[in-house]
Amino acid sequence: MDRRDFLKCSLSGCSLCLLPWLSASGNFLASGPLPGAGLSRVEARYYQKLPDREIKCNLCPRFCQLGDKERGFCGVRENQDGKYYTLVYGQVASLNVDPIEKKPFFHFLPGSEAFSLATAGCNLSCKFCQNWEISQMRPEQVKNISLLPEALVASCERYDCPVIAYTYTEPVVFFEYMYDSSLLARKKGIRNVVVTAGYINPEPLADLLRVVEAIKVDLKAFNQNFYREYVRGELQPVLQTIKQIARSGTWLEIVYLVIPTLNDNPSEIRDMCRYLKNEIGPDYPIHFSRFQPMYLVKNLPPTPVSTLEKLREVALAEGLHHVYVGNVPGHPGENTYCPKCGKLIIERYGYVIRKREMSGNKCRYCGQVISGVWS
Amino acid sequence: MSKARVVIVTCSRNFPDITRPDPGLILAMLKKGFQALGGAARAEDALGQWFRPGEIVGLKVNTIGRRALSTSPETALALGLWLGQTISGQENIIIWDRTDEELKDAGYKLSTSPDSLKIFGTDNRRAGYQSEPTAHRHLGSLFSRIQAEFIQASISLALLKDHGLAGVTAGLKNYFGAIHNPNKYHDSNCDPYIAELFETKPVREKHRLTILDALRVQYHRGPSYHPQWLAIARKLIFSLDPVAADTVGWKLIEELRAKKGLPSLKEEGREPGYLMTAEKLNLGQARLENIEIIEEEV
Repeated sequence: MDRRDFLKCSLSGCSLCLLPWLSASGNFLASGPLPGAGLSRVEARYYQKLPDREIKCNLCPRFCQLGDKERGFCGVRENQDGKYYTLVYGQVASLNVDPIEKKPFFHFLPGSEAFSLATAGCNLSCKFCQNWEISQMRPEQVKNISLLPEALVASCERYDCPVIAYTYTEPVVFFEYMYDSSLLARKKGIRNVVVTAGYINPEPLADLLRVVEAIKVDLKAFNQNFYREYVRGELQPVLQTIKQIARSGTWLEIVYLVIPTLNDNPSEIRDMCRYLKNEIGPDYPIHFSRFQPMYLVKNLPPTPVSTLEKLREVALAEGLHHVYVGNVPGHPGENTYCPKCGKLIIERYGYVIRKREMSGNKCRYCGQVISGVWS
Repeated sequence: MSKARVVIVTCSRNFPDITRPDPGLILAMLKKGFQALGGAARAEDALGQWFRPGEIVGLKVNTIGRRALSTSPETALALGLWLGQTISGQENIIIWDRTDEELKDAGYKLSTSPDSLKIFGTDNRRAGYQSEPTAHRHLGSLFSRIQAEFIQASISLALLKDHGLAGVTAGLKNYFGAIHNPNKYHDSNCDPYIAELFETKPVREKHRLTILDALRVQYHRGPSYHPQWLAIARKLIFSLDPVAADTVGWKLIEELRAKKGLPSLKEEGREPGYLMTAEKLNLGQARLENIEIIEEEV
C-alpha cells in the first residue's frame, strides 16, 4: 500500500462530501468555476511603508522589500500602490475533515476530527514539498473558494468538528485569515491548531500564540546547509519559533521528515535531540516521518523503515519521552508508551485510535501524567 | 574570441506621444536594428538568418507595469506583423506574457483567432502552465505552455528598467514571466536564478534574439513606475547574445543615473551580478570589452 492509497483508506471514515464543491477524493477542490473564487484585497498586518510606495514585510524572516505590484516570496501578499495586501483572506484552496492524527498531533485531543484548510502559498520552497501543487502556487493558479471566517466557523460547527486546523501549505502566509478565524472560533468553543514550518518572526508569532491551542512545527533538518539548499530558508528562526511556542504554554509537536542521505545522519539527529531536550524539555512529541519521492526530489527512495527505527532509538536514548514513527501505518512506533512504566497507553493504526489506556491525562497503569491536551 | 554584437538604434525624431509611439517610426527602427545586427543588405535578409519560414515565434513582452511601464504594444505589434509578413505568417506569431489582464492593462488587444497574429497570456484557457515542474540547478518551476510547447522560436522583447533587487531587468529576467513562481527567485539579487532560468531547455533552445524596449527607461526605483526617474531615451537595443544585450542595457541605465547624479548600482549594492553568472554558464558576454556596440540612428 503506498502513501496515497493509505491516505485514501484512512480518509474513508471521514465525511468526504462536506460541502457541495468538495471533490470526491476529499483533497483538492472540484474542477469548474466556483462561486466567490478570486483574490482578496485585505490589508496585511506586520509591514511598514517605505518611501516611493515601497513596503517591507515583517511577517517572516525574509523581510521582503517590495515595490508597487510586487509580491513577496510567498506569492500571496502584494504591494498595491504602497499598501500591502493579503490576496488569500478567505480564499481556500484545500478543505477537508481529517483525523487530528493526520496533522500529526498525537497528544492533542486524540481521535478528534479537524476541519482542515489551506490557502495557496508558502514562504519556503522545499524541494521535497509533499503539497507543492498548492503550496508553491500563487492563488490565481489554483482553484479557490471563498470562505470568510464567519462562514468557516459556521461550516466547522455544522460538521461538528471540535478543531480547526490551518495546514497543508504554510499558514503563516495567510496569517490574517488564520488569526481572525481563530479568534471567532474560540468564541464558539472551537479550538485552533496550526501546522507550520515555523518560519515566522517573533512578534506575529506572539500574537498567534494568543489565539491558537496547538502548533506542529516541521523541523526540516538540524543543519543550516540543508535549510539553505533544500528549503531556501534559515534554521535559526525555526529553532527560535520552537522555543517561543514551548515557553508560551501552547501545545507543541515536532515533525521531522527523514529524507534518505539528505538529513538522516544519526549524529546530527542526536545533536538535535540534545538541543531540544535542553531547550524545551523531554515531553514534547517528535515524529520521524517517512519521506515519499515528490516534487523536485524524485531521485531518492522512500525512507527505509529501519532508518526511522534507528533515529527513534537515538532520540529515546537521548531522553526524549515521546518519539514516533510517521507514515508507516501499523508500526509500533505509532503508539504512545508511558515514559515511566513503559506500558502501551495509546495504540494507533495509521490515524485510527485502537486502544486508549489513560485516565484523564494519566497513565492508567502507574498514574504518570502524560504531557498533552487530552480533553 | 569574437566579440558579441549589440546594436543600439536611436530615434532622432521626437515622438509626439512617447507613450504611444508612431508604428511607422518603430518599424523603421526595427528594420535598421535587424540590418545592422545581421550585417545584411536588407533587414528582411537578416531575419532569414535567424527564423525559418512557418516557424511559430513567440514575442515575450513585459506587461507588469500597465500602460505606463510595459513593453510598448506599438513595438510588439510592429515587430510581430512585420515578422509575420516576412517570414512566418501572421498566424504563427504569438505576443504573450503572464496574464490576459496584464496584457490588456498594458494596452494590448487580446487576439486568439486562428488566422491572425495572436496575443494572449499564459492564464488564457488556451494555454496554462505545464503540470510537471522543470528542475534545473536551483530552480523548480512550471513553465508556461506557450514557451515550452506552443512556440518554436523566442524573442525576448523586454522592457529595460532599473530593478530594486536584480539591479537591472531586461531580456534575461523577462523570462521570469515564463514560469509560475518568479516570486521564489528574487532573493540574493536574483542571482543565480536569472541566469539559470535562461539555461533551462525551454528557454535556451528557443531563444533567438533579444530586443530591449528602451524608448523610455525607468533608471531609478524600478521596476515600479516613478515618472520622476523615467528618461525618454528613444532607443531599441538588439543582440543575438542575451547577456551582452542586458550588459549594454545596464550601461545605459548607469549613464542615465550618472547624468542625474545618482549613485551607481554597484554603489547601491545591487550591481546585476547575474550577468557574470550567465557568462560563467556560457550564455553570453558580460564584459563590455568583449562586446561590439554599433550605434544607429533613424
